[in-house]
Amino acid sequence: MNIQHSGEETITADKATVWKFITDPEQIGRCLPDVIDVTVHDDTHFDAVAQVGVGPVRGKFKFKFEMLPDPSGNRMDMKISGGGFGSAIDLTAGADVVEAGAGSTTLKWSGQAVARGPVAAVGGRVLDAQAQKLIAQTFANVRERLSAAT
Amino acid sequence: MSTETTVTGSLGVPMKRKEDPRFIQGKGHYVDDLTLPGMLYMALVRSPYPHATITNIDISAAMQVPGVKAVITGKDLEAAGLGWLPTFHGLDKQMVLAIGKVLFQYQEVAAVFAESRGAAADGAEAVQVDYDPLPVVADPFTAKKDEVLLRPDRDAKTNHIYHWEVGDKDGTDKALAAAPKKITQRMWFQRCHPAPLEPCGCVAYFDTMGRLQFHVTSQAPHVYRTALALVTGIPEDKIHVISPDIGGGFGNKVPVYPGYVCAIVGALKIGRPVKWIESRTENLTSTGFARDYHMDVEIGATADGTVTALKVSTTADHGAFDAAADPTKYPAGMFGIVTGSYTIPHAHAEVDAYFTNKAPGGIAYRCSFRVTEASFAIERGMDILADELGMDPVELRRKNFVKANQFPYASALGFTYDSGDYHKTLEVALDTIGYKALLKEQAEKRRQGELMGIGISTFTEVVGAGPSKHFDILGIKMFDSAEIRIHPTGAGIVRTGAKSQGQGHETTWAQIVAEELGLDPQNIMVEEGDTDTAPYGLGTYASRSTPTAGAALAMAARRVRERARKIAAHLLEVGEADVEWKDYKFQVKGVPARSVTMKEVAFAAYTNMGQNEPGLEATQYYDPPNMTFPNGAYVAVVDVDRDTGEVKVRRFLAVDDCGTIINPMIVEGQVHGGLTEGFAIAFMQEIQYDADGNNLNTNFTDYLVPTSLETPHWETAHTVTPSPHHPIGAKGVGESPNVGSPAAFVNAVIDALSPLGVRHIDMPVTRDKVWRAIRDAEATRAS
Repeated sequence: MNIQHSGEETITADKATVWKFITDPEQIGRCLPDVIDVTVHDDTHFDAVAQVGVGPVRGKFKFKFEMLPDPSGNRMDMKISGGGFGSAIDLTAGADVVEAGAGSTTLKWSGQAVARGPVAAVGGRVLDAQAQKLIAQTFANVRERLSAAT
Repeated sequence: MSTETTVTGSLGVPMKRKEDPRFIQGKGHYVDDLTLPGMLYMALVRSPYPHATITNIDISAAMQVPGVKAVITGKDLEAAGLGWLPTFHGLDKQMVLAIGKVLFQYQEVAAVFAESRGAAADGAEAVQVDYDPLPVVADPFTAKKDEVLLRPDRDAKTNHIYHWEVGDKDGTDKALAAAPKKITQRMWFQRCHPAPLEPCGCVAYFDTMGRLQFHVTSQAPHVYRTALALVTGIPEDKIHVISPDIGGGFGNKVPVYPGYVCAIVGALKIGRPVKWIESRTENLTSTGFARDYHMDVEIGATADGTVTALKVSTTADHGAFDAAADPTKYPAGMFGIVTGSYTIPHAHAEVDAYFTNKAPGGIAYRCSFRVTEASFAIERGMDILADELGMDPVELRRKNFVKANQFPYASALGFTYDSGDYHKTLEVALDTIGYKALLKEQAEKRRQGELMGIGISTFTEVVGAGPSKHFDILGIKMFDSAEIRIHPTGAGIVRTGAKSQGQGHETTWAQIVAEELGLDPQNIMVEEGDTDTAPYGLGTYASRSTPTAGAALAMAARRVRERARKIAAHLLEVGEADVEWKDYKFQVKGVPARSVTMKEVAFAAYTNMGQNEPGLEATQYYDPPNMTFPNGAYVAVVDVDRDTGEVKVRRFLAVDDCGTIINPMIVEGQVHGGLTEGFAIAFMQEIQYDADGNNLNTNFTDYLVPTSLETPHWETAHTVTPSPHHPIGAKGVGESPNVGSPAAFVNAVIDALSPLGVRHIDMPVTRDKVWRAIRDAEATRAS
């Protein structure tokens, strides 16, 4: 089952601050909703364990993250794969980092996920809504943590 | 002379099932009831990917889970020469655990053995498998293009598994071209699943003699023993297969599944008993599914409704492995029964099967080797033809029926029908349901704009495989067997090569023996499912028990009777030629007062046998000379809500002709169960896959089983046309209601919608599909 989402989030922080934050695996890992544990392997790779609940599929999911920052400092891409309880989720996500003026920065993001296994059988509407919620929560967490830090 | 009361008339008696007291008291003994000292539990790691390369399997974290004793992978099995097992069709093989890549979602990837079920499940969750996804082929039409090769392990580098055909293609094409009236219709008999109440499972261990003791949910224990010997290399005498009580099979428990092989390997490797009981999701997603036939049906006829030709071209989805347990020479099973109950002079059927990234199987669900698909095709086709001709579907059927005086009837597709009286069976159905009154009511309702439908299905089945010259499983000929031992007191024990999963053998087998020997059926014990004690047989599926094992049993009983006759002659002090079996006892010819009962003879067989061989027992292996052809006339009456699309089955009548009836109460129960399954298939059941190969019906919230709330009230009746070649004239009935009813339900719905111009809806005929068909029809009429 393919799920696609896109949107944008404006953060009250300058571009350099935002870029530093989103290229830090420890920081970005902690922004995942219901994250339980983050294990950073190097500057661009980390693992995360998160509590996931999609319909009847509930439990700890493990994900591998590969961060692909563009050297220009204008875009961050990420490959995420993992799952749990017989389900697998492969996600590619990317965000353009754009100055929004007045010390703000906008993340124009888009993502495409493929869900397989019981989590896909839950059905499009439930999964779609859950994916939207998770993504929105992630960026809300980015905004909150950055706001707290600045 | 006799002082014993003779027991008479056991056949045709609605005797209560002997097995039911233990079942309804919860005292049945199933595989999962077995617990052994030191027993381990197995859990399987399954693939979430429908098609992917396995790049790595890391078991280290799993081995750290408390209680986990071992993990095995496909590479481990491959190294031991156990990487693949033959499918029961015999022309393909199946990975036990995935080697190199996975081919369907929920495929078995690794097996974890642990001290508890929970630890095994935790261990399975901890096995880290890395996959590299591959393009998914989720339907046979995409598979046909061969753009993605699914099975590079095979010599033939194509997704096409086989082409099978039967009949006169050229003659049929010419007859269709010349037919004044012709219909064509694509019908998809959807992928569905038997979903037995008890899922599959086993307990495997090696006893102190090093002998494999294998308790398993098997419909064919002897075939399992042979298959396991072939796969594992364990000598067959060192394998003991025990099938205890089984909570429903419907064909789902015919194949040997990878989990069984893994459990045996685990028991061997660790040296402790291993239990594996699959979950509901595992059952629905990885074990034998049913159908998935896309059928293009063409029927030609004269203007007055005489059918002149039938052509059916089928594209079959077999999933990742060709695991449909069909006889070697019949890859599409008995699909040749597609001419049904009709005299069709020109016919041709062909099936092309393809691999896809779906679970393997395709034979199960109360269907005798693709007979359900064939029956649906012809019975829907006849209704569509009737609509085209503007004829009453009943009249069209009457006009084309094989007549009673045409039996034995040689069909255009190679079967010789044994017996039947289709006109009579249909008339019984029409009289019982009140067909004329229903037509009148329907006409009135249509005038009022209401949607009422009457659906007819007059099917013919073919069951009871062998004969052995045509049919086999893995090369083993499809005969069956029975053994009878009569004890000194006139009680006895019966064993057969069949295996009941709810059919009521403990009762019906006892009734056959009691009828043949004049004994009390209550004192005839029936034992099945133990390969150490039962004679070799091919098991119970495809409505074959009564036509094969039941026949063997009647003939074994007659052997017992012949041995008993010698002892009776000794007791009666006459020559054997002067003794006749009459009124359920031995009599001196012409002197009925001088008689002995079988019970008295049984006692003498151990105490006063004279010069005769002691004991009273016989074994019979039976190779049927032909299959049997049960048939029936079913009528469904439905009301369709025009606004919501809801279908209400108001009445359903099943008139079955299964030949001689052994126990009418059990036949009625079989018919009720089969109709309920047919109802489920027609209206609610489908194993759906999305375009990415995800199975969307993995549990009973998504794959529906009707409860008493949804299930209609069933009406049943019978005609009896005995099979001329079966020792007691019986034909088998277990699968008839599942074979015959889906077409009756769908025909009724389409009949209700026919005033709107709706011609066909694929099953399951759900409310939303009906609603959509009504809206589309209304839109078409408005434009």
